Amino acid sequence: MGMQGDFLQLLKEQGYTLSTPAMVGTGHAVTNATTILAFKYRDGVLVAGDRRATAGNMVMYDRTDKVLEIDRHSVMAIAGVPATAYEMVRVLEHSFKYYRRTQLQELSFDGKLRAISKLLKDNVPAALAGTGAVVPVFAGYDLEQGSAKIYFYDILGAEFEGVEYAVSGSGSPTIRGILHYLNTWGDQPLNQLPQEQAMVEALRLLASAAEFDSATGGVNREASLYPVIKLITGAGVQTIPDMTLKPLYESQVVRYV
Amino acid sequence: MYEEPYRWVEAVGNRRQYLDEQFKQGSPVVALAYDKGILLVTVSKGTPKLYEIYDRLALGGMGHPTDLEKLRFSLLEMAHVEGFNRSPSDVTGSRLVKYGIAPVIKQAFEEVYKAPFIVRILVAELGQKPEKDALLTINYDGTFEETTGCAVLAATSAAETKMTAYLKEHTSAALSLEQALDLALRAWAIGSLAHQQDESDQRAETQSSVSGAGASEAAVLGPDVLREHVRSLAGGRMLECAVLEREAPGTSKYRSLKLTDLSGMLPKALQSVVAN
Repeated sequence: MGMQGDFLQLLKEQGYTLSTPAMVGTGHAVTNATTILAFKYRDGVLVAGDRRATAGNMVMYDRTDKVLEIDRHSVMAIAGVPATAYEMVRVLEHSFKYYRRTQLQELSFDGKLRAISKLLKDNVPAALAGTGAVVPVFAGYDLEQGSAKIYFYDILGAEFEGVEYAVSGSGSPTIRGILHYLNTWGDQPLNQLPQEQAMVEALRLLASAAEFDSATGGVNREASLYPVIKLITGAGVQTIPDMTLKPLYESQVVRYV
Repeated sequence: MYEEPYRWVEAVGNRRQYLDEQFKQGSPVVALAYDKGILLVTVSKGTPKLYEIYDRLALGGMGHPTDLEKLRFSLLEMAHVEGFNRSPSDVTGSRLVKYGIAPVIKQAFEEVYKAPFIVRILVAELGQKPEKDALLTINYDGTFEETTGCAVLAATSAAETKMTAYLKEHTSAALSLEQALDLALRAWAIGSLAHQQDESDQRAETQSSVSGAGASEAAVLGPDVLREHVRSLAGGRMLECAVLEREAPGTSKYRSLKLTDLSGMLPKALQSVVAN
């Protein structure tokens, strides 16, 4: 068993289950109130998410981090039930480390993708019952191929490659159209954008999502609350501090009418 | 026949003799604190002897590769399950050693019908603060020791004592990584030479010939002699170095030093070791 370096299998042997199967007929409408997005820019891939967590009409928390670092070169952005999503990230984080340390080599990028699919598949009963649906976007830098990659998933674990961009969450229909427009008819395609311009576009996209989706939090300047933006390049994952986002937001996102 | 207490004691004694014999060809391992973390050094013949166990834990070993692998896997399993179920800060070297593998090693050693683990193990733990750093060594019979500053594994306890004494004598509060590397390699040479010395002494005894000059030689060896010894041995083998760095980005603090990293750090006399 140990020879496979499979951490989830190790946990299962100790009686661990990712999600408890819910009773049939308790299904709720699947909601995933948030907005997350990822697109490729000149140096790698940018992943961003708003910070609002809601329960129905209630804003529960306005400092959620939905863009989570799994290792030095990959990030998972989550939409859906946070409890399950955080647990999945924890399992993945330990799985990748465990694989590297036991097998003395990095898990390949494809191997990482499979690990996520497997977790989502294990989670199907809870997802269908409405108690644990997670719709993640996975982005990373494939060191072997030297290129950035984006994948998105449905709640059942099917994996799709987002060639230039991927979005998820309740605010995503709004910005999906904008991303298509920008990428096709913008001054330059998204993957040509320099770093600063990519960050400005991410802020504008999230502001647009917040405009039309009550479950997506915008920028709260009084509380110095900005979205989470992470950049992944060959050098690793980099979290952009609020100090950098503030001047960008004020000079290039806000319109004083 | 081992049911009789005397036989059992005799069997365990034989086992000690057998195990001591097994380590004769082994290469010493040195762990040494430096200003930004902990350095581990050894010279191995092919199979690696230094490994990453967890975010702040590293392993060094001597002995049979398969036994070392077995124990490495149980350390990895325990550390990761604990880190997942509780939290990474609850994974400590001392718990893994005292309640995890030391009892297993002791049991295997004393069950005289079964094979013992042919290993000596060193676990280095990087604390949140330098004063929380810990170095643990476990012998093949399951006895363990916890120290700070420096720790070694060698073929005999006499060699270990010499190496530790040398390290303690030459270490200072804030060694740079380069200085620590040089000192650790010199200590490695002390261990390797002490062991050669033992062997030649024994040979001298059995041949009942007189060779008194060699006995006190090790005590007065200069740094250059020691470096020369490393150079002469390391040529055909693999110089293995790893660090636990307190300031490393991210949660995993372990980094194995590659030959390209080492070439800039080694003392001039040893540059040729990594050149080829």
